[in-house]
Parts: sequence; C-alpha cells; structure tokens
Amino acid sequence: MRNGEITMNALKLKIVITGSYAAGKTQFIRSISDIDPVSTDYDVTPDDERELKHNTTVALDFGTIAINERVSLYLFGTPGQERFDFMWEHLSIGALGYVVMVDSCRPGHFAETLRLMDRFAEITDAPFVVAANKQDDPAALPVSYVRRRLGLPLEIPVLPCIATDRATVKTVLLTLLQQIAARVPKSATPSSASA
Amino acid sequence: MALEGSLQDMSLSDLIQVFRMGPKTGVLLLLNEDERGVIYVAAGRMVDAAIVRGTERVVVAKGDEAVIQMLTWDNAGFVFRHNPSVQTRSIRIENDGEWLILEGMRRREDPMRAMPYQSLSLDTRLQLAPVPNDAKSGVSLNVNQWRVLSQVANSKDLRDICRATGLGTEAVIRTVAELMSIGLVEVMPPERPRPQAAKQSARAARTPQLAFAGNGIPGDGGVDEEQPSVSQNLLNAIMRRIRGL
Repeated sequence: MRNGEITMNALKLKIVITGSYAAGKTQFIRSISDIDPVSTDYDVTPDDERELKHNTTVALDFGTIAINERVSLYLFGTPGQERFDFMWEHLSIGALGYVVMVDSCRPGHFAETLRLMDRFAEITDAPFVVAANKQDDPAALPVSYVRRRLGLPLEIPVLPCIATDRATVKTVLLTLLQQIAARVPKSATPSSASA
Repeated sequence: MALEGSLQDMSLSDLIQVFRMGPKTGVLLLLNEDERGVIYVAAGRMVDAAIVRGTERVVVAKGDEAVIQMLTWDNAGFVFRHNPSVQTRSIRIENDGEWLILEGMRRREDPMRAMPYQSLSLDTRLQLAPVPNDAKSGVSLNVNQWRVLSQVANSKDLRDICRATGLGTEAVIRTVAELMSIGLVEVMPPERPRPQAAKQSARAARTPQLAFAGNGIPGDGGVDEEQPSVSQNLLNAIMRRIRGL
C-alpha cells in the first residue's frame, strides 16, 4: 500500500492534537502526515488574532499515517479559538490519546491552555503529553517553566517541540504512544485492534 | 522571533528566573504607560538596565534601581529578544537577581499583585521547587522566610504553615509570595477534573456527530467512538512505523 492510501475496512485509530490559538497544531500535523493535511482554515477577522496569524483552523485539520495495510493512524487538530470549542468533544471521543501544544513564546496563552486541559480532562481520561512548541527560538521559555505554569505533575511528559521539525514531532508522538502502551496490560489478549 | 507578553501573564520575577534557567542572552524591553524599561541579560545574568520617560527619553533610573522599579510595574507589556552582542556589555548591575526581586517585593504593598496568575489561600498546597544543581544564589533569607521555607515540605497547606510557624495569615501569604518570586517554592499541581463518563456517553449519544464522507472521520462509524482497545503488538507496530518516518 502506498503511504496515505486507505483500504476498505481498514482499522482507524485516532490521536487528537489540541492547544490554544496559534500554538502550531496545523504545522505539527503537516510535519508528520503521509498526506497533505486536510485543513479547513479561513481568514482571521479580529485584529489582535490577525497579528498572530492570517488564517486559522475552523473545523479541523486532519492527517494520516498508514501503519500497515490494515491500520491507519489519524491525527486530528482541534480548532484553536475558544468560540469553536464545541468541536473538542466530538474530536476527542474515541481517541487513543492527545497532544496539548503550547506556544513557548506566548505566556499570555497559558490561561487558555489551562482551560483547555481542564475541559479535555472532563471529556476523556485518555493519556496526553504536552508539546512546548517553538523551542528553536533562543528566547523561548524552558520546558521546566512551561510545566510549572501549567501545573503539571512529573508523570505528565512535557516535551520540547519544533512543529516544523519532523524529528521532534516524532518524539512527541512516540512519547504519547508509550504513555498509551503503559496502560495496556502486558498479558492482555490482543483484541480486534491487533496488528 | 521573541518572547512576548504582558506582566499580567508573566511577572518580571519569573522572567528573571527564566533568564537564569536558560541561561538566556538578550534584551528585555518593557513598556509601562509613558515609561520604557530595558534590561540587558548576558548568560542569564542582568548586566545593565535603565528606565526612560516620554518622547525626550529622560533617564528616570539606571542599574539596580531601574530593575527594582520595573519589578513594581503591574501591567507593562514586554518583549525579550535573543541578542548575543549583550555578552560584551559592561556590567552595571551590582546585586544578583534574587536580591533585586526581594527588594522589589518589599516595596510592594500587595506582593501577590506581582503574580496575578497565581492565587494563594489557606487551602493552597505548596512544594519546594526543584533547584538546578549548579544554582548559585547570593540571596539571604530573613527569619520569617526561613521559618516558612522549613515548613513547606512538612505541611499540608498554608493553614498548616500558619499553625506551625505561629505567623498570621497575611504574613505567611506575603512570605510565600516572596519565596515563590525567587523560585524556591511553588504551588503544588492541582488535581485535574475527572471525565464524567456517564454524562459523556449520554451526550455523545444525543449529539449529532460530524458527518464526513469516507475515511473514518468521527461520526461516520469508521472510528470507534468509545475508548478503543488496542494491543501492545499494535502499539509496537505504530511506534515502529513512526520511528521509520
């Protein structure tokens, strides 16, 4: 099977990429997806938001990683603006886990990220990791400060990330998958979702 | 590229701690009404600072005093940009960051206004902040700071600390704010809300799902809407695939 080609009756698994406005979710998916991500962006209207970026994700971003002929991993990016947060629940139900992206250069977005993490914790108990994006900027806040401001215990991984750099995106996804694997009993009988 | 925000989002004491943690080199600019502040940072250490006022740029304060005055600003916007040329700048700040922060806190009537995103109450649980092994500090704690610090690891919350130290609530909150501002103490991570499973299932059942044709996007029945059960083998296969990308 070619990358990105999905066969009928394939097993589809889902990971959600969330985070506040302009945190880098679309770029994260773009860096790792087999296909050109399906983005449903539109031009930003409020002036303060336009200063940060010119278009934003309204419904969702979506990319895929073909695991084998039968299994595909779907990456769904949530819309970052608060007025679209009704979408989060739809996207998070049934997810294996989720990545919370945070902009390491915008401390003003921490409050929104905290609100978002609380909301996701209400929706799902799926494992999650936090990706501290824009770590290629020498002025960026260190990961330890991001952890402290988000009030995250040590068992929740907070990882340095550069959304444009596939290597760091891979590390974030692999760490999330390790968190997911840690919850699967070693002796569990493989379910229908076995490779 | 730059670190940008307002002191409402991140205090100057936090910025000074972050400069040291980095360690960062660059220029911090602050804009507070008609005053502009600048702090030069080399390898995590503040080396020079000034405050100017108005269009004539009259110098209001320089060096240590400029930093202390900036530490009393509440609403200034800031931009920090990496700038290696600061490394060659002459050192005009005598005291270290912690001393300046504590002096700034001492000049405030309400030290909690320095960290508007933190709230302290008698129920707040604290923990000692992890300090890097190579952290050096010239700060001298006063008696109250030592008394409170020594109780943080043993006490359940601020109420406990008040009881153990015999200090009043106001004094303990002020002292804790001072210790937080220099990065010795932090608020313990709160417990996150738990999923409301029953409510969630009911909501999912009655909420129309997004309808996308084709490839198993939520709502078309292609992706399992409940928490999927996956095997270790499958997860290993996914991890192998991602490593190989």
